[in-house]
Amino acid sequence: MNNRMVINYTPGPTLLHKLSGFTKVFLFLVMTVAIIATYDIRILVPLLILNIIEIVSMKPNYKPILIVFAITFVTVTLLGNVMLFLVSPDAGLNNVGGNHILWQGPGRLYISKEFLWYMFVVFIKRTTSFASVMAFALATTPSEFASGLNKCGLPYKVCTIVSLAYRTIPDIANDFVNIRNSMMMRGVEMSKKASVWKRLKNTVYLLVPLIFTAFGKVNDIANAMDLRGYGKHKKRTWFAENEPTKWDKIFRVLTIVLLIATVYYVVMYRFINPWPAKFWCPWLAREEVISVNAIDTIFFMDWFKK
Amino acid sequence: MKEPIIKFKDFGFRYKTQKNPTLYDINLEIYPGEKVLILGASGSGKSTLCNCINGLIPFSYEGEITGSCIVNGVETKSASIFKLSNSVGTVLQDSDAQFVGLSVGEDIAFSLENDILPRKEMVPIVEKNASMVGMQDFIDHVPFQLSGGQKQKVAIAGVFGEKVEILIFDEPLAALDPQMGMTAVSLINNISKESEKTILIVEHRLEDVLYKPIDRVILMNEGRIVFDATPDELLRSTMLQECGIREPLYITAMKYAGCSLEGNKNLCDLNELEFTKENEEKLKAFFQEKREELPEIHGTSEIKFDHVSYSYSGKRNVVDDISFEIKKGERVAIIGKNGAGKSTAAKLLCGIIRPGTGTITVEGKDTKDMSVKEIGEKVGYVMQDPNTMIVKDIIKDEVGLALTVRGNSQEETDAKIQKSLETCGLYKMRNWPVDSISYGQKKRVTVASMMALEPDVLVLDEPTAGQDFRSYTEIMKFVNYLNKELGKTILFITHDMHLAIENTDRAIVFTDGKIVADDKVFAVLSNDEVIQKASLKQTSLYTLAMKLGLDPEETIRSFIEYERGVK
Repeated sequence: MNNRMVINYTPGPTLLHKLSGFTKVFLFLVMTVAIIATYDIRILVPLLILNIIEIVSMKPNYKPILIVFAITFVTVTLLGNVMLFLVSPDAGLNNVGGNHILWQGPGRLYISKEFLWYMFVVFIKRTTSFASVMAFALATTPSEFASGLNKCGLPYKVCTIVSLAYRTIPDIANDFVNIRNSMMMRGVEMSKKASVWKRLKNTVYLLVPLIFTAFGKVNDIANAMDLRGYGKHKKRTWFAENEPTKWDKIFRVLTIVLLIATVYYVVMYRFINPWPAKFWCPWLAREEVISVNAIDTIFFMDWFKK
Repeated sequence: MKEPIIKFKDFGFRYKTQKNPTLYDINLEIYPGEKVLILGASGSGKSTLCNCINGLIPFSYEGEITGSCIVNGVETKSASIFKLSNSVGTVLQDSDAQFVGLSVGEDIAFSLENDILPRKEMVPIVEKNASMVGMQDFIDHVPFQLSGGQKQKVAIAGVFGEKVEILIFDEPLAALDPQMGMTAVSLINNISKESEKTILIVEHRLEDVLYKPIDRVILMNEGRIVFDATPDELLRSTMLQECGIREPLYITAMKYAGCSLEGNKNLCDLNELEFTKENEEKLKAFFQEKREELPEIHGTSEIKFDHVSYSYSGKRNVVDDISFEIKKGERVAIIGKNGAGKSTAAKLLCGIIRPGTGTITVEGKDTKDMSVKEIGEKVGYVMQDPNTMIVKDIIKDEVGLALTVRGNSQEETDAKIQKSLETCGLYKMRNWPVDSISYGQKKRVTVASMMALEPDVLVLDEPTAGQDFRSYTEIMKFVNYLNKELGKTILFITHDMHLAIENTDRAIVFTDGKIVADDKVFAVLSNDEVIQKASLKQTSLYTLAMKLGLDPEETIRSFIEYERGVK
């Protein structure tokens, strides 16, 4: 079961795997905040390198990771950038605040140095968040995730939903295959022979028994949990939550440092001494940055003004 | 005299959603340390009775309680399920659904977690309980790596708390193959001996539970306790047939031979049983009597596997170089423990997966060139759980689905649906919603939806799993009708030895992807080596033959011949 999907059900042997659930969830949350809050390559690149080191240190099966990465890269980044170029070639000007034109195309289309920089930073930002999600998914078992969330203050009943969901995914996948097989034998075409629309329509047939078998189990699961005292107290402990080790303490301190750095950065660069554009760019000094009201540059705004 | 640990007095219960009570006039006392079997067919109220003890009633199932039920000094009506769960541990029937943790350790620790026990104290308890059921080396394993039997062991370890005094096992054998079932019964017996806890086993499979001694049997029928005594007394009575419970095979044999059941010591344990002289002679005479031999089947070849191999990962062959032939009109049991390759063989036959090497022919045609859909018109595959097959809400539509998707004309479809429904005895119910019918009837609907395509072969995957004797008899009668009257070839994929003895002509035994035996059913079942290899369970007829000093093969054959002759 391990490595077939990215979801990790049994804890691995490396240092990161052995950290307690809380440490990992805490690190992941802070990292996510840092990535969302900043458009600054000086912060994103170190985070990206850090996450890549984390992934490599766990010696994972790279194939599924690369497949998922290739899919997100092709669809989101390439497609997104082409669309962006067509709709809003001014993105470089708006977000980075410079206009060094490299190529003037027909009509309002042009490519500037700043536009390329913008695309590059956005790509790094997406890659960093992808790497951080992967590192977290590889390091954490669903139960550690649940116990970690609980320690972060989420009510434990919500956390149990998380771990129960992971518990049932493989079962449902299994049921799905069985039901599909029985449908195929009855002549409901599921293979590539049928058209996409027909296959989609036929998939609806599978959902009815799939949902019913899944719901049939809900009652049993609920009973099994009640009988073992689930919900007895306002709190509960977790078998999956390892006692914090020396490494946990080190990681928690590092996470707090990252949190403080992020808050400091946001306060400094957004409020106290705000950078005039959304993105920092190496070749533009503070005085050179052109601050643009983004609304003005949306292409149809010109028509309204006429 | 000790105080009873469970005491029902004039107890009755009615589910809120039902018109009539499920339990009537229950008066029952169970004493500490007793090992009690609660026996009854589906719907007899035996599970409801247990849910009254463990507190699920009234906690999860609302309803009206009359009379009183005191468990470990607590009146259950007013106690919370949490208070009861400290003294009552329940192992539910579905070993998969009750596995709520994501690893063995977590699942065993589940109730400790809910008691806010610090992890430090939890770990040694988990290790101790795991080793009690022999799962100490599996603490990190995830549920998907475990067999049904292992999951059940984990469930037992998970409810085995310090303060637990009563352990309830709700149909512990339902999801297990015979060998695992025996292990489970032995494990329960060991717990009972070593821990002095009170044990309640809820089952309908009497013979399997009697593999280890039971102190007392409580027989339930239609919501009432109809019998409460030792197993020996129960076997001597006529209550079993009346309540739809299958009696042990050796008892059936004794009855066929005209033996009186009085006066035999240890009737419930075949190994210790002491026959009266008269009975011994009667049995010997019965088994040695010449009877009409079973008819040989000389049909044309229907299915042929020729050196077929298959592997999922490309490494190990799940099905390894198997060859067999099934003739038209045969009833064949494909037996073997879980994972032996029998389901893979069935999938190969239906074309869902294709052989790596070798050929499969159906009616002389190589299935290589046929689509799954085309094979489906020749071979109907009925899955174990009808709920995973039914997609429409009205019976008629469900049966007609395969015809509709094939684009048959309306009249033709209607005519075929009608024919199939009539064959399967469902015509009167054709407009009923599927939700409103019983499990056995649903099974019939799934067979009917296969029959609508008029296949020559029916493959039934574990047709009797989780069925009580009544439902079993009903299903088998129907399948035998399809075989005898309509000449359908029937393949059972099963590990139910009773089914093989009573309903098949031939048995093919799988072990580790290979066929280890392919012979007349009595020859296979009397072959101790094959039974051991395939991890199957020896039928009690075999033990009986050994005890009487008879040849097992002749004994089982004689029994089958007599039984088929009578029917």
